[in-house]
Amino acid sequence: MSIDSNKRRLRAWARRQLYSLFSSLGTLLGHRLGTSMTALVLGIAMVLPLGLYMAVNNLRSLDLQQEEWGAITVFLHSRISETEALNLAQMIDDRPDASAETVSPEQGMDEFRRVSGFGQAIELFEENPLPWVLLVTPQLVENDELGPVIVRLAAWLEGQEAVDIVQVDHKWLQRLSGLLELGDAFVTVLSVMFSLAVVVVVANTIRLDVANRSEEIQVLSLVGAGESFIRQPFLYSGFWYGILGALLALIILSVSVLYLQQPLENLLDAYGNRFELQGLGSLEAAAVLLGGGVLGLVGAWVSVQRYLRQLRVGGIVGRR
Amino acid sequence: MITFEHVSKRYSGGASALLDVSFHIDAGELVFLTGHSGAGKSTLLRLILMLEQASRGQVLVHGRNLSKTPSRLAPQVRRQIGMIFQDHKLLSDKTVFDNVSLPLMIAGMRYPDIRKRVRAVLDKVGLLSKEKSWPLMLSGGEQQRVGVARAIVGMPPVLLADEPTGNLDPQLSTELFALFRQLNRQGVTVMIASHDLPLIRSMGERVLVLSAGRLIDDIPAVIRRNVEA
Repeated sequence: MSIDSNKRRLRAWARRQLYSLFSSLGTLLGHRLGTSMTALVLGIAMVLPLGLYMAVNNLRSLDLQQEEWGAITVFLHSRISETEALNLAQMIDDRPDASAETVSPEQGMDEFRRVSGFGQAIELFEENPLPWVLLVTPQLVENDELGPVIVRLAAWLEGQEAVDIVQVDHKWLQRLSGLLELGDAFVTVLSVMFSLAVVVVVANTIRLDVANRSEEIQVLSLVGAGESFIRQPFLYSGFWYGILGALLALIILSVSVLYLQQPLENLLDAYGNRFELQGLGSLEAAAVLLGGGVLGLVGAWVSVQRYLRQLRVGGIVGRR
Repeated sequence: MITFEHVSKRYSGGASALLDVSFHIDAGELVFLTGHSGAGKSTLLRLILMLEQASRGQVLVHGRNLSKTPSRLAPQVRRQIGMIFQDHKLLSDKTVFDNVSLPLMIAGMRYPDIRKRVRAVLDKVGLLSKEKSWPLMLSGGEQQRVGVARAIVGMPPVLLADEPTGNLDPQLSTELFALFRQLNRQGVTVMIASHDLPLIRSMGERVLVLSAGRLIDDIPAVIRRNVEA
């Protein structure tokens, strides 16, 4: 086979693809109501796993934003001077697995006054009874697990002379990461289930489409169309259905984010947290669109292959 | 161009549609195929289009033995044959232009070339002004001519027609046959299944006569030419 004739065949193939593409778009536009209803069903099916995925992601980013929540609180002996406290903080900072923040007795008193509302009563103390406090945040290096790092740090801190009490509170962190893991698993399960739903919905839609156009398919094969030429427009239709569904899912999600943003901010403000609800990134959105398209394609393929096999048995359609 | 060698076709129910049919049609011939309905005309055409497989014997079209051609190659065979159907088999949701352009789309031709060819063919069958019409807006005769345009647009070496004048009045039938003859003079092998005996007789071309699945007569065209001379 010469290069020239290969080129010619490639061009002919590309033109047929183009024809199929436009023909499929034409069909979808010709049945706007049916197309939008199918897209809506697909969109809703895709919103559920995507919404959960977004929620889990937001919880995770909450975790990252609030690293000091995982802090170890270290109360020094009350006799410890500022210099000694700062020295110890420096030592901690020098470790690869931790960083420290100091809270002076005055800062502690200020905060206590502000938060507790016992301002007047506190004035009665002649001397500030609060010790220096260090807030130690574990730094995870490479594949470290948070748990062991905290245990190690706490042990080391307790061994320091200046240290009075080491308070470790990472139970909630473990719970959160457990919840996140569960959330991830849920996302996976839902994704598989609803992907299957998308494939089935598209397959059924295309099946009806194929049945409605069986006359056209027969005419096409009578004038010499091969299987791929007959199949192509339906595959494109499936692809478009998937993409439209994904697009609708993204729109529904964005509207939900807008709607949820304010109440969530209000709620978290009450807990003293600054928080911004994250939607999906543009890369994720692109992946969702593509994924939807591929699922639609698979659904269409399943349907069309079945039908073509019937026709082949009937001797009407040949493969090339 | 088309050769049948001892071809029989038996349907699974046991009924025989064709029995030991043999004939040969040269390239550039115009042949009528006639017989009562049920005589096997349609079955014979379906064998040539690879819509059916012969139970016995061999069908050769354009040098290719269809009995030994796998069904996946049927589209290639069909692209060598322009087929005209009694019920036109037009797509009602496509314009006249789009209907006629189908074989060229399938061949993957460039759109500007497709437009040129389709308009030339529509001009030939006298329907250029209707290229944007829908098939259902046309009369029966016009629809049939759209079918003819679609059959010849790909310039196939063989043209088959199954009862093309079945729904046409005598005037239109005569016009259509004149068109077939014109195409035939340009080198296309034409085979027309019809039971319009008066019209066939007036054309005076070669006639194959089927009866109950058997080829009972093969009247050569020469007779007419002699008479005319």
